[in-house]
Amino acid sequence: MKATLAPSSLISLPRHKVSSLRSPSLFLQSQRPSSALMTTTAASRGSVAMTAAATSSVEALQEGIAEFYNETSGLWEEIWGDHMHHGFYDPDSSVQLSDSGHREAQIRMIEESLRFAGVTEEKKIKRVVDVGCGIGGSSRYIASKFGAECIGITLSPVQAKRANDLATAQSLSHKVSFQVADALEQPFEDGIFDLVWSMESGEHMPDKAKFVKELVRVAAPGGRIIIVTWCHRNLSQGEEALQPWEQNLLDRICKTFYLPAWCSTSDYVDLLQSLSLQDIKCADWSENVAPFWPAVIRTALTWKGLVSLLRSGMKSIKGALTMPLMIEGYKKGVIKFGIITCQKPL
Amino acid sequence: MRLIVHNMLTCNIKGVVNKFPLRIEAEKVIKKDVDFNPDFLRHMLAKIEWKALVDGARSMGYTELPDHAPALESDEPFLKKFHHALLELNLEEGSLVCQETGRKFPVEKGVPNMLLHEDEV
Repeated sequence: MKATLAPSSLISLPRHKVSSLRSPSLFLQSQRPSSALMTTTAASRGSVAMTAAATSSVEALQEGIAEFYNETSGLWEEIWGDHMHHGFYDPDSSVQLSDSGHREAQIRMIEESLRFAGVTEEKKIKRVVDVGCGIGGSSRYIASKFGAECIGITLSPVQAKRANDLATAQSLSHKVSFQVADALEQPFEDGIFDLVWSMESGEHMPDKAKFVKELVRVAAPGGRIIIVTWCHRNLSQGEEALQPWEQNLLDRICKTFYLPAWCSTSDYVDLLQSLSLQDIKCADWSENVAPFWPAVIRTALTWKGLVSLLRSGMKSIKGALTMPLMIEGYKKGVIKFGIITCQKPL
Repeated sequence: MRLIVHNMLTCNIKGVVNKFPLRIEAEKVIKKDVDFNPDFLRHMLAKIEWKALVDGARSMGYTELPDHAPALESDEPFLKKFHHALLELNLEEGSLVCQETGRKFPVEKGVPNMLLHEDEV
């Protein structure tokens, strides 16, 4: 039975406003002892140093991410389709959704994100970059919606090829194309994209400051930036780091999903403020994505899901085993699903 | 990779000044039909770096494009050539070469790989 999405519920989104502004700092939280995935050390709050050893671990992280998605994308697409992101649901919706209900929710996630950022047809979006594009679901959707040109970048050659094939199959290959490229070193000139889209890719970026700088660099004057990403909870005033048990939970998730250090929604807001972006908004959509991971686990436990997992390989299996940790993280308020949007000044 | 994309790609190696365009070394080019849309093409004409397109098309074996875009852009024969070069030529295998450093970015199965090495960042 499909859940109906009541229009009135769209207005009452939970919002988390950053009320007190800490001084802008281009920092990354780094609370763990060194590990293969750690790439920065913060000598003090507000300073970041990349060591030589760190840069080669960035390459290792990139390879890990590429291999992970090379292996798991096909499986995901088979079961969930071409959108590799959370669905957006009404809060407290406990109705068991059908497959099509979840797909609708994934599309709603795109629509809600565009709306939150104030991106409407009237904005004349001509050129879009999809940073961390997966197999191109968002790109193709946005290209169709706005008639815009979309370029997607991913670390995974398998994903890029599949994304291109899907575009061709949907007669969109003149509008969208996909490349293997690094979100932190985008192969584009400054200021060419009316919309810079990062849907659940921020969590893979080892240097959040550099990531945000690149997003801003390639955004056109007047263009909009939309970041939808997994974060850890905002730290309270005077709190220097997450609690050890919280960090431990995130560490276990990081390993299997090839994630570097997490940051908070406030950290993104701080970065954008330090780069003089305008109209910066953020929200906590954790309640709106709550049904997602339980649904993914249910699909993994079906006969088809289990067989596909076994065929897919160890990375997929480990990924599946890590999913309950995501639920735990959300339930305990450690993990947040955040959206951060802004506009580049003219 | 189609030339509409090539027209946007730059070499992002640290310190490189002459980042655009990337020279094309074609090993395998295939032609894929795309629906002809004159409005879209007219809109693209304003944004395209013409010389990069002409040189890119030549590298892929297509020499029909004029050296300069004609003033009468509504001319249909011209638009058909523009359409073919921009959207229908696909570089399946080859390289995109940085004009300044000679660095080759591989194109495999139609997908350019623009990832930099550690020392290029």
